[in-house]
Amino acid sequence: MDTAVHLNGITKRFPGVVANDDVDLAVERGTVHALLGENGAGKTTLMNVLYGLYKPTSGQVFVDDAECRFDSPREAIDAGIGMIHQHFMLVDPMTVTENITLGNEPRKWGGLTVDRAAARDAVVDLSERYGFDVDPDARVEDVSVGEQQRVEILKALYRGADVLILDEPTAVLTPQEVEELFEVLEELTDQGKTIIFITHKLGEAMRAADEITVLRDGRNVGTVDADGTTREDLAELMVGREVLLDVDRPPTETGEVVAAASNLVVEDDRGVRAVDDVSLDVRAGEVFGIAGVDGNGQSELVEALTGLSAPESGRIEFLGEDVTDTSRRRRIESGMAYIPEDRQERGLVMDFDLVENALLGSQHSPELGPNGRIDWSATREHAESIIEEYDVRPPNPDSISESLSGGNQQKFIVGREFSREPELVVAAHPTRGVDVGSIEFIHERLLELRKQGVAIVLISSKLEEVQGLSDRLAVMYEGEFIDVVDPGETTEEELGLLMAGEHPDEEAAGQADTSGNQAESGDAFAGGEHA
Amino acid sequence: MKIPSRARAVLERLAGASATERILISTAALVLSILLGAVLVLVAGRMTTCTAGEAVYYFGTGFCYDPVVVFDRLFLGALGDPFSGGWSPNGQFSVTLRETTLLLFTGLSVALAFRAGIFNIGTQGQMVVGGMATAVLVLWASSLVSGVVGTFLLVPFGVLVGAVFGGLYGAIPGFLKAYADANEVITTIMLNFIATGVTLYLVSGAFKDPESAANQTVPLPEYAQFPTVLFGGRQDFSLVALFFGVVAVGALYYLLEHTAFGYDVRTSGIQPDAAEYGGVDAARTIVASLTLSGALGGVAGAMYVMMILGSFQSGVPSYGFDGITVSILAGNNPLGVGFAALLFGVLKSGTTVVQFATDVPPQLVGVLRGLIILFVAMPEFFRLVGKRVTDTGSKVVATDGGAPGGDDDE
Repeated sequence: MDTAVHLNGITKRFPGVVANDDVDLAVERGTVHALLGENGAGKTTLMNVLYGLYKPTSGQVFVDDAECRFDSPREAIDAGIGMIHQHFMLVDPMTVTENITLGNEPRKWGGLTVDRAAARDAVVDLSERYGFDVDPDARVEDVSVGEQQRVEILKALYRGADVLILDEPTAVLTPQEVEELFEVLEELTDQGKTIIFITHKLGEAMRAADEITVLRDGRNVGTVDADGTTREDLAELMVGREVLLDVDRPPTETGEVVAAASNLVVEDDRGVRAVDDVSLDVRAGEVFGIAGVDGNGQSELVEALTGLSAPESGRIEFLGEDVTDTSRRRRIESGMAYIPEDRQERGLVMDFDLVENALLGSQHSPELGPNGRIDWSATREHAESIIEEYDVRPPNPDSISESLSGGNQQKFIVGREFSREPELVVAAHPTRGVDVGSIEFIHERLLELRKQGVAIVLISSKLEEVQGLSDRLAVMYEGEFIDVVDPGETTEEELGLLMAGEHPDEEAAGQADTSGNQAESGDAFAGGEHA
Repeated sequence: MKIPSRARAVLERLAGASATERILISTAALVLSILLGAVLVLVAGRMTTCTAGEAVYYFGTGFCYDPVVVFDRLFLGALGDPFSGGWSPNGQFSVTLRETTLLLFTGLSVALAFRAGIFNIGTQGQMVVGGMATAVLVLWASSLVSGVVGTFLLVPFGVLVGAVFGGLYGAIPGFLKAYADANEVITTIMLNFIATGVTLYLVSGAFKDPESAANQTVPLPEYAQFPTVLFGGRQDFSLVALFFGVVAVGALYYLLEHTAFGYDVRTSGIQPDAAEYGGVDAARTIVASLTLSGALGGVAGAMYVMMILGSFQSGVPSYGFDGITVSILAGNNPLGVGFAALLFGVLKSGTTVVQFATDVPPQLVGVLRGLIILFVAMPEFFRLVGKRVTDTGSKVVATDGGAPGGDDDE
């Protein structure tokens, strides 16, 4: 076999942190090589070294057996390396063709102007050769995220890339798009291209890669053959200890009803009824799960419960009091914690450091903001304890939230909300984008709160998660609870059908009106993507 | 999505600039703007005619304007010539401090609103309303008390009146924004016109001084104005007013950085959705910050009346609009406003000195002033220059800007 890329003893230090520690990596030509690791394990840093964005502190980079010292991505591109970042580098109002050829346009009239026809032909040729489905004349802002990703890949290929680095390529894709991407990767390797694929999702690494290298704390802890390994082995390599992939949920005694909603109707931004006559109650020591394909009203339901939007009608009770019109601040102060779905818009102020973010929601609390004055040293201690307990990396309370990876941002929010000593936790997708080790930890903490008698409302599109953690499980479809089931007594298939809006047993449906359901919703749910 | 991330990267690097770097940046900006200005002065000097005796000679060529003299007057003149022995507290330096005092308040007014994410262009109008109210009410109150006791009572009273009326005037666009979703840029601009128009109407009618030809109120008695301490009674400057300004700088800094209200304001300013999540009442924060912003503008108006004019007169100078520049120059940071207001004050006062001392046309001095502010206000360019300076002779610095251990994965 011949090696397309060989990294030899790469060490990359940042002030105070070693991001990569003596990492060796050899990638065979014409294969898909997954780089697997937890958030902050140093995967992206390593690839940024290969792509010329960072200079290694020590170590060598070989491409096609020739040693390379890249000073910039431009030099890496010239050596045949292409990188597709997690956040696309595309110009939205320009067409697909313009984006792909940007900076390397074919010229005519002695270089005076861009030869648009030639550019378009080149793009069409390329996409046909690799079987890509892209419209060369569409504007990037008008095409789907999956297609934008293919545009990024074509851009790299157009610049002559032989080795493609994809940084968390599936994070932004729907399950179908993920499948399409994997087909594209197969086609590329069939034609001799080499793929390096950064991920923290075990299933994807196993599914798409030929070989898998696991990074932990900046070190290469093993390269394995994808066919000769198991999810459990990989999880253990990633985390460094045995990981319980199944949740152990001991029975607890449930207490009083902590929160209840009755006949809740909530409209979304466009005035459409997103939540249609939903009633629920959750008791102390109970996890009430809400499953469903994203966009069936879960977000709107949660925002109404937590006081971020006002319902059109219906009533919300919390600790025996009517809180339908109570402000968000009052609800926080009376013991409602909320892990929001959108961590970068809601959960954290991206330009604030972690100390300032530890204060969010507690700025008027007697502990951190007594008499309207902020106790910054207490806030700093609070931030430090969250960082330590939830293993937020880098462990520096002065880091700006923006600079943290998504998983670490999530861990910080979860830590902050759990530390409020809440009566009720509303957790929307609490483990989205978080690596396996942390998922396990967050689940444990959630169950610990349950044991302490906290009421929990858990929303997730990951079936495994809601099924494994919930005591009662509602399935939400088109703004209604199509059914509330006992998760232990219900199979994944039955839940899947419910999520698609098909009720197997009309009589038992109770409150749910299923007569209007068509079989149109074939949408897969993202269940089980994370171990 | 793509552009903002780049802009953010720039800001991050800026934010990462150390204190030394910042000083170097500002110094480099100042020096470069002076050099460029000097060239302009020389060129302009070649384009006019003057007698051989008036001309100065550089590089064997004669120029009608001497850039050394121009910048000497602009800066040292504004400071009252501290090195030439003729310094007096009644001199030009007190003019500089007088301008600085007013700019402190208008700068803070704009900065506070900016931090709340609100572009308050209405500081000028709030200042006019505050000033008018102060003139009328202090005049009325001055008939009740007099003498030293009067000063002790009337000056704080006047400042309070300015703050209340400016604050109420600022609350109007606040309510409009919070409860009617009206864009504050439009409403505050329009309210500026209304403030100017209504005060002109009042001061030329009901409140006009019958003994004056100008549209102005009856002058306040001496004891109802800011007392002169140490400095410049002749130049309408009061150290007491400056002291108020310095206290306001510290108070606003404390408010923003160390109180829950300040946290609410800053959070709403940069990420309203997160503020809402954290229990901040968006509407109340908007109204409160615009009211406070207006109050600071109103105090500037009170100072203008009780320190400078001694009455309210139509045609209030554009301190409110200059406040926008001061605030931007200061990065909307209250402490920065202190320095920016001083720089702006020096330039404003120095301009008159230059016009006095040289034949350089006032338009050209305006250009020099603009250049300095422009250069100081574009720190990113000078950050790079500053970096060059700090890097020479020192070891290689890691400049990749990577977040430590930064793994950008989802």
